[in-house]
Amino acid sequence: MAATAKHALQESTPELSRRGRAQALLRLNFSLDSTSGHTFLADSYQDAPLKVVRAFTMEDGTALAHLHNVSGGLLGGDRLAMQVNLAAGTKVQLTTTGATRIYRNREGFSAAMQGNEISVGEGALLEYLPDAMIPFAGSRYLQRTSIDLAPGAGMFWWEIVAPGREASGELFEYKEFAMRTSVSAMGRRIAAENLCLRPRQENVSSLARLGPYRYAATLYICRVNLEAGAWRGAEDQLRELTAALTRRGEILWGVSSLVAHGLLVRCLARNGREVLPGLQAVWRSAKRHLYGQEAIPPRKVN
Amino acid sequence: MTPEREPVALTPSDELAHLRLLHLADSALPIGSLAHSFGLETLVSVELLHVGDLPDFLHGYLREAAMLEAVACREAFRLAQPDGKEFDAIQWIEINDCLSALKPARESRMASATLGRNFLHAALGLGDFRLLRKARDTSLECGGLIHQCAAFGLVSGVLGFEETRAVLAYLHQVSACLVSACQRLMPLGQTEATRILWNLKPAIVEVGADSASLNLETVPCTMPLLDWGAMEHPALATRLFIS
Repeated sequence: MAATAKHALQESTPELSRRGRAQALLRLNFSLDSTSGHTFLADSYQDAPLKVVRAFTMEDGTALAHLHNVSGGLLGGDRLAMQVNLAAGTKVQLTTTGATRIYRNREGFSAAMQGNEISVGEGALLEYLPDAMIPFAGSRYLQRTSIDLAPGAGMFWWEIVAPGREASGELFEYKEFAMRTSVSAMGRRIAAENLCLRPRQENVSSLARLGPYRYAATLYICRVNLEAGAWRGAEDQLRELTAALTRRGEILWGVSSLVAHGLLVRCLARNGREVLPGLQAVWRSAKRHLYGQEAIPPRKVN
Repeated sequence: MTPEREPVALTPSDELAHLRLLHLADSALPIGSLAHSFGLETLVSVELLHVGDLPDFLHGYLREAAMLEAVACREAFRLAQPDGKEFDAIQWIEINDCLSALKPARESRMASATLGRNFLHAALGLGDFRLLRKARDTSLECGGLIHQCAAFGLVSGVLGFEETRAVLAYLHQVSACLVSACQRLMPLGQTEATRILWNLKPAIVEVGADSASLNLETVPCTMPLLDWGAMEHPALATRLFIS
């Protein structure tokens, strides 16, 4: 499995044969304790710089794990792979210890790369709630994520892309930021995104791309085998919330049904302050609607 | 206007193919193309998009969403050229499923699928095309959508058009439909609309050429603002367009 993830990453990026830095794999396998009904980290493989210190059990039996890059961020030449497997019936919340910093690419190094392979077993629930990704000036980053959902599996998965170190006035000074994401349910693709921003080659502020906005966030909300009509109901309900969160000229929120088994929420914002609280509000509302349960934010943001 | 080079004489069969391609790529083909704005209406409604922004917006649109569709159009076109092999129905489904997954807004996705279904239906009315019937039936059996760009590519392949010409014709039709939508949404006159579409042609040719070296798994498409517009279109108080 580990070899497969690395191989897939290498296949996807011919540049990997160029000079590189860290090659690392983080593999996390979560299982269900049949006695307590709690999810626990049954097995892990961790290469530096990717680390998970331990998994904490939350009050509802969910296992919470903080993903930590001990380098402080991604550097040119990094080739990182993350595999997360959730056994049937497990509940897992993954978050980061802070923003993911993508550092300037040094001359001669290939783009920093991360490949993620996620498998959510039957009836399991994954909540992936990371902080923003911040591509520094001169950085290059390629990410490829493949998510497979089994029957009855659910997922809340968000990602936030910042324009750079905004507080330092660094906006869109990176070279390349690319994220390729594919979500499948029972083997059939239900969502995909091939985002690629190259501010030095194209006008990212064109109305055909980000327009006047700088931050972009995506939230996937999935639960396999929920009847199709339920998604239209969920879409209508979340539309009221996203309309309330929207302030034209500052932050836009939109929601739509996927081709099956889920919803996608999109956010565009001039600054990052309201993005994370907005995502949390949508997540809380959606979890209540789809699971009848309260969302429990990861401990660091309490 | 002086042509840049002498026109090439077409053989009778080329002339017929040329006319057929013009016919199928006409934005006035009655499949419903003019009823959709694919999110543009929202951007105009919230006063983000103005006439002066159109050239840059349309260039960006061509490089992103239209590039994705051009790649899909090519991949579907090649399914009709199987070198004696059976039609690859699985690949046909995968192309359309991939497009469905890559179109995040329900209305735009369904608009593309409605136009694709209508286009394939119109083509099936023009002759006895076994391969087109099989494509339609396979999609129906699998419950999959048929997207317009894929249908256009497949029909073009079956009718024996040249691949790049078919892709360019498709891109031109998409551009013409968007400009037409803008005419109904904005204070954009006939002359200016004609000039905008005229000036887009080099970009259309460029996208057509670049699409030949890409595939659906890797072609980038980054249009979050238009995605938002398409997602929010159902919530507009008054609407001219279905999407």
